[in-house]
Amino acid sequence: MDTLKFAGKVTAGRSTPSSGWDGVIQRLRAAVRKRPAGGIAVLFVLLQLTCIAGGLIFPEQFRYLNPANIRVTVMSVAPLGIMSLGVGMLMIAGEFDLSVGALYSFCAVFAATIANNHFGGIENPLSPFIGAGLGIGIGIAAGLVNGAVTIGFGIPSFITTLGTMLLWNGGVLLYNGASAVDFLPKAPFAPMFGGQFWLMDSGFLWFLGLAVVCSFVLHHHKLGNHFYAVGGNQQAAIAIGINPAKVKLIAFAITGGLAAFSGIVAMTRVSSVQPGGGVGMELRSIAACVIGGVALMGGRGSIVGVVLGTALVFTINDVLLLLRAPGFYFDMFVGALIVVAVILNHSIRRRSWT
Amino acid sequence: MQGEVRVTDVVPEAGSEPPPLYEARNVSKRYGNVRALIGVTFHVGCREVVGLLGDNGAGKSTLIRMMSGIVKPDSGEILADGKPVRVESRADSERLGIETIYQDIALVDPMSITRNIFMGREITNRFGFMRHKRMAELAVDVLQSAVHIAGIDHPDAEVGFLSGGQKQAVAIARAVYFKRRILLLDEPTSALSVRETERLLAYVAGLKQENVSSVLVTHNLYHAFMVCDRFVVMSHGQVVFEAAKEETTIEDLTDHVIRT
Repeated sequence: MDTLKFAGKVTAGRSTPSSGWDGVIQRLRAAVRKRPAGGIAVLFVLLQLTCIAGGLIFPEQFRYLNPANIRVTVMSVAPLGIMSLGVGMLMIAGEFDLSVGALYSFCAVFAATIANNHFGGIENPLSPFIGAGLGIGIGIAAGLVNGAVTIGFGIPSFITTLGTMLLWNGGVLLYNGASAVDFLPKAPFAPMFGGQFWLMDSGFLWFLGLAVVCSFVLHHHKLGNHFYAVGGNQQAAIAIGINPAKVKLIAFAITGGLAAFSGIVAMTRVSSVQPGGGVGMELRSIAACVIGGVALMGGRGSIVGVVLGTALVFTINDVLLLLRAPGFYFDMFVGALIVVAVILNHSIRRRSWT
Repeated sequence: MQGEVRVTDVVPEAGSEPPPLYEARNVSKRYGNVRALIGVTFHVGCREVVGLLGDNGAGKSTLIRMMSGIVKPDSGEILADGKPVRVESRADSERLGIETIYQDIALVDPMSITRNIFMGREITNRFGFMRHKRMAELAVDVLQSAVHIAGIDHPDAEVGFLSGGQKQAVAIARAVYFKRRILLLDEPTSALSVRETERLLAYVAGLKQENVSSVLVTHNLYHAFMVCDRFVVMSHGQVVFEAAKEETTIEDLTDHVIRT
């Protein structure tokens, strides 16, 4: 967001001043090329315009602009979105976390059982906060374990977190069994994490707020700069005096913490949590990041991209639902979108500096 | 930057010869069965350019990497200003005022020129947030002063899209900007044109006036002879020949590099 401003300023200073439509188009083209999420932003805007047009022309058949539809779509973005912010930053730092989906369930179930059974139970307005805090703490600790094992033994994080994914998936069944856990917190926890505001819910606002925070850390803080350095060329980062182990541990911890938080937000909204609820989310969040322009090999990506990638996935989901397409179409579309988005980003980037 | 204060505090005693800025005594390093350095003794004095010569695999790069703190010696002593020190990380060598231009350039391709130059040493406010504008201005400055290479005028260009020579210029600019006492140049001219090379060599020679010593690793003996005050020839991990410029000739040096 602010990076965009920065890049824009520099280009604006160099290009010749022009007015009218030509100038606008010229500036737009430059903006698209120089931003990591440029391609996906264009795709997102085009899809939105098409959907809005469709909603205006066929208000009865295609209820895209119906407030209920907007509310449901916006609401469903938050859990995957919050998770993807962490996953994306970790990918930029050059590592994967496949255990986020399992952590999403485990930490939420843990937070719910703590809040229900300890500290005066769910009737106590404070107990859900304590439960959520402990759940997020477990998420951060699990992230640190992922990082410590990956770095300490020098093995691919793909393998480490594949292992911990299965560990937490089994762990939640060991801890709680397969039954769902109710979570009915009192105010102020319930409105803070599961409330409704006009067309948005608090989960979505948390997602936007966290995206802004992550964007500042990733694009404007030196820690974020070190994520890019370590993910882009670890040997160069070492040569210049950056400690990759420390940087990656922080990234793993953030990812684990955000995965736990996303689980808690999702649970608060629906007032209960299913032990297997997060299965598959790890791959969907990686998909959202890749669609948003995060490089699979690290060193490249942006928070705007991750946000747009997630939003795009859910817009497609919504459109398919409105068109009453069977559920499996969703996976097929997202699959195609991943490939198209990567090709698009790749070709735009290659053209931008020649 | 606490090191900066300490370093400038060192005042050589009047009348006596100041101790070398950096000295390695009898250092050895082995990688498995390969003995990369065998009892090497090497020093960098004040205001001098040392030419580190030798064929491939002679141990020059290992010695440079050891001075930068990336490689730890197995045995031997390291002294800075005559006092024993440990140089076991990049942070240690940075404290001693050592900057390196690596043979393999050590840049991050997906990052911008500015971010590469200030990588790990970002200019930030007290909360750690980067001052983008200031860094961009400084990047432009330093790119134009040390080795001006055509084609790099926007500091937010991605390094991955630069040519080999341009990348090298960025690596040089980075080291030059942060240099304080010793500049290590490991094959810095391999991707530069003749004119750019001359500029760089003249710059290195000129650094002596700013109290910055340099170590130049090169295959090109003519380049070395142009700027170096002293020559150290290595072969198979050992120092085999050492001479001041006045005591030797280019033929003599060639002979030592080829023969050993």
